Amino acid sequence: MILGHLRRRRLVSLLAAGVLEGREREETLAHIAECARCREEHEALRAIVAGMEQDPVRGADPPVPLAFFVARVEREVEQALVPRGRPRWWLLAVPAAAAIVAVAVLVPAIVARLRPAPRAAQAEIPPAEASPLLTEDALARIERNLAREHAARYLNEAGEVLVAVAATGVDCNRADERLDVGSAPERSRELLERRALVVRGGGEAVASARGVLDDVELALREVADLPSCVRRGDVERLRREVEERQLLMRIRLMTRELEG
Amino acid sequence: MHPSEGGAGDRDLMARLASGDREALAPLMGRHYRRLYRIALSYLRQPDDALDVVQEAFVKAYQWAPRWDGSAEAGPWLSRITVNLSIDRWRRNRRRAQTFAPLADGDHAATLADLGPAPDRRVEGREAGERLATALRGLPERQRAVVVLRHYQDLSLEEIAVTLGMSLGTVKSSLHRALRRMREALEGGRA
Repeated sequence: MILGHLRRRRLVSLLAAGVLEGREREETLAHIAECARCREEHEALRAIVAGMEQDPVRGADPPVPLAFFVARVEREVEQALVPRGRPRWWLLAVPAAAAIVAVAVLVPAIVARLRPAPRAAQAEIPPAEASPLLTEDALARIERNLAREHAARYLNEAGEVLVAVAATGVDCNRADERLDVGSAPERSRELLERRALVVRGGGEAVASARGVLDDVELALREVADLPSCVRRGDVERLRREVEERQLLMRIRLMTRELEG
Repeated sequence: MHPSEGGAGDRDLMARLASGDREALAPLMGRHYRRLYRIALSYLRQPDDALDVVQEAFVKAYQWAPRWDGSAEAGPWLSRITVNLSIDRWRRNRRRAQTFAPLADGDHAATLADLGPAPDRRVEGREAGERLATALRGLPERQRAVVVLRHYQDLSLEEIAVTLGMSLGTVKSSLHRALRRMREALEGGRA
């Protein structure tokens, strides 16, 4: 009797949840038609289910557009892939290249000092040909790669700043509808100071990135002028501009191209 | 997108992800971003937390992709990661709330009211959302997950069982207990 009653109550709940089918459903419907207490239970539970079906959460859209969200996740994945405590590859590349250049310049000079006085014919050989370690071409390649790596790093950091601003959902003043963009304006100003070095120092090596660098500069200038607590409308305008220019995707593609 | 749809595309993307192809992550996010966000939001009732959880879910999906069973559907697998991370986040928030201050119900209600489409129905939506949020918050973690997947994602009992790794019987009894508990909470709140 008690077991039958418990089973009935469970079936009434499942009927209200809309998951009962076939014979069980028919039997439960017939039962609640006769049992006032079960009918009342069913109606109360149906009201709760109906409330959930009308809950605005069901149709809520994410506060951050997909493109920005993808950029956020990719940045997290990137960071997750770098083991803690180990330097990034480019941190090794710069001292390594400096060491190669130093060896290329110093070794021939030291060897020349240690050698007996050269014969006239040997003295006419150009220094680059005399160096067995690095040719001018190889040096130029290293310089070019360094310039491209520097530009890629710059674009990556700029992308992070733009995502941080456009994807922020942190209220700094709910009543005033203002959002907290943290240190993004300050980071933008730092990046803008580095821009000249990237563009002028990079020369032809970063010529293909010029269009993206120009658009990034415009966006960074807007962020640099922001206070740390920004009107929601300003964030949304910036987000639209970044989306219309497809800036995040272009940064991503150009960074990959520059990194080779 | 319903998790039972688009299996072949998802499987292909998961297989690419498992082989280390990061390019597969963006289309996978495109297919599941909104759905997973709604699961996390229904569970946590806080948009910022829900967004963080979905972000973490995709990072985990990338990291765990090599462990993914190729015969399984990716949708339920991603849903399970999201539910588990939502539960983790919920526990963390509760611990923090117990340590520092009680949860601000008013803030939750205001946030939910902002999600409503029609301004003239905001007050109504806010009250209903607040009562439901309170009743949902009162449920044990797994029961709440069952309710979210059933009544906010429209999953069948079988799909819920697959997603949460539960038996069908456990899903049924969890749903029954959860609804009864919600009723008690809502009626107690009215009294």
